[in-house]
Amino acid sequence: MSARGILFVAGLSHRTAPVELREQLALEEDKIREILADLAGRGLLDEVMILSTCNRVEVYGVAAVPGEARSAAFGRLGTHRGLAWRDLEPLLYTVTGDDAALHAFRVAASLDSMVLGEPQILGQVKDAFALAQSAGAAGPVLHALMSQAFSAAKRVRSETEVGRLAVSISYAAVELARKIFEGLAGKAVLLVGAGEMSELAARHLVDQGALPLYVTNRTWSRAQELARGLGGIPIPFDQMPATLGMVDIVITSTAAPEPIVTAVHARAALAARRGRPLFFIDIGVPRNVEAAVNDVENVFCYDVDDLRSVVEANLKERQREAVRAQALLEREVAKFAQRLQDLEVVPTIVSLRDKLEAIRRAELQRALGRLPAADEETRRVMESLSQSIVNKMLHAPMVKLKDSSRAGHGRRWTEMISELFGLRGPNRPVSGE
Amino acid sequence: MNEVLFDVALTAYILAAAASIGSLVGRRDQLGWIALLLIQAGWACHTVAVILRGVELRRLPFMTIPEVISLVIWAVVLFDLWAERRGRVRALSAFVLPVVLVLGLGLPSGLRAALDAPVRSGWIAVHVALILIGLAALVLNFGGAIMYLLQERQLKAKRAGTVYRRLPALETLDRLTVATLTAGFPFLTVGLLLGLLSARRAWGSVITFDPLALFSLCMWVVYAVILVGRAMGHWRGRRAAYFSIAGFCVLLATLSAGAFLTGRHGS
Repeated sequence: MSARGILFVAGLSHRTAPVELREQLALEEDKIREILADLAGRGLLDEVMILSTCNRVEVYGVAAVPGEARSAAFGRLGTHRGLAWRDLEPLLYTVTGDDAALHAFRVAASLDSMVLGEPQILGQVKDAFALAQSAGAAGPVLHALMSQAFSAAKRVRSETEVGRLAVSISYAAVELARKIFEGLAGKAVLLVGAGEMSELAARHLVDQGALPLYVTNRTWSRAQELARGLGGIPIPFDQMPATLGMVDIVITSTAAPEPIVTAVHARAALAARRGRPLFFIDIGVPRNVEAAVNDVENVFCYDVDDLRSVVEANLKERQREAVRAQALLEREVAKFAQRLQDLEVVPTIVSLRDKLEAIRRAELQRALGRLPAADEETRRVMESLSQSIVNKMLHAPMVKLKDSSRAGHGRRWTEMISELFGLRGPNRPVSGE
Repeated sequence: MNEVLFDVALTAYILAAAASIGSLVGRRDQLGWIALLLIQAGWACHTVAVILRGVELRRLPFMTIPEVISLVIWAVVLFDLWAERRGRVRALSAFVLPVVLVLGLGLPSGLRAALDAPVRSGWIAVHVALILIGLAALVLNFGGAIMYLLQERQLKAKRAGTVYRRLPALETLDRLTVATLTAGFPFLTVGLLLGLLSARRAWGSVITFDPLALFSLCMWVVYAVILVGRAMGHWRGRRAAYFSIAGFCVLLATLSAGAFLTGRHGS
């Protein structure tokens, strides 16, 4: 770290910029690498990382003057796609210091995502950081920021339910199936009719181990075609009622004007199943499964509206959980600030320790040279004696340095100690942990 | 000493019950962990308390009704820990512990007042021990049934209620109730049979009026009917759960008959 730069995040996201513009600005990896190298080389930024997804383009950096660094970075990003700085500027947000850290944590933990709690963003942030590292643009501050962000995101994921509940109709169906059946492995599924949502739900179920998958359609050729696509078994449409007794989950999605599954069917199916539960996922509009089916004991029937309200409830739940997650992240920001302050004095501590260690080694060698008859025991005692002298002497200055950095005058003390002990150079850069 | 330890264990169970209910309703995993720790600590205390009681009184520590109930609780907690860990029946303690507490809260005074029981042969000890294991399994059976009904109601009503997300799948709960019933019933049967045989030897007749014996037979019949209904494949899910709850009511009546009415079992 050179003279202490300011951590900042500048960018635009689904909250500030229209999708067309975001699309225009989104860049592929090679281009980002090129821009990173270029920006790092110009000297305006000490450290820089670019996060570019379809929902956000953000520059994370450390610079003495964040404003300048921001225009340089986005000027460079914009020219690449023929966007003028003055068009971009009004769409940009900039946050610095602790707010920048909080923003980074919120992004990584998916609290700032379009679909709250969606899991991809963490991977994208990790990739962006890896790219910055490989381009040599990331330094100790971004390293500290990102490692803290990753662990914070992990905590949010495991300690809150922000990312846990299904927020799509097809996943909501799978989630419900998991509340009825112990596991989906080996559960038989029947898909009646075709449709994007119903096929997706069938696919999710199969992904989770449901097997076999029967597929039926009014048109035999269509049933065969669908079965091929999904890896299922086609069955003739008129055998549908009989098949109900053999399966655990039924997904219906036909354009039939009247229900095709009635309570009579359901009762017969349940008798054939010796009362084992049966789950209908009715995606057809109008409904393919009669409402009375849900009243049959051990039969559960959810139509599109039911699933939609499950999704809505889940989204609300995610929002409630997001409040908890936010509090958690704020505590993480406090930890990060601490870490950053320690970072300031770490190079001095390292060089001080190196220096004393070098002296210790040299003096030990010399002393041992004068004692050729020393046995193993004596050598060991001398070794540990010298080590403990160095450690005890280092202890107080180290504590003092850390305390002073927390109190905000770390720089004065690092300079003083460098001067006193004749440590070389201003400050050595810190390598990653 | 053993009474003090028992009170400590009971306190741990009370706190654990509160924590596990809090974890279920408030959806806080940390509370769930605290509950688990408390249960384990309570159970350890309880184990020591039972052993100490045996040592202090120089006899088997399950010869009076309060002692038996204490041991039922001990076994229930053990099974509960096992089911939560191995069977992954989450949130089970929130349903089982309150039952344990209803059974347990009347106990401390009872334990202290319990007289040394007079006649005690080895067979009687076996009789009591077997019934004990059976009862413990049936307490879990009851907990599972309540959970089943709650979860089934929420799924049918299509409302994702507060506890819905924390409860295990219906199939898991159904499996739990079947497993506890089929595991508990044979113990109960053999235990009662032994009791019947010893009664004939000790009292001369099987059909003397003894409230505990009569209630026990009632309980056995109810559970036998449930088991047959289940085995025939008629009763699954909700209906089986209702029967489990009915069976448990008879079980409670039996225990209170044993505790409060005087008969040949003594009190």
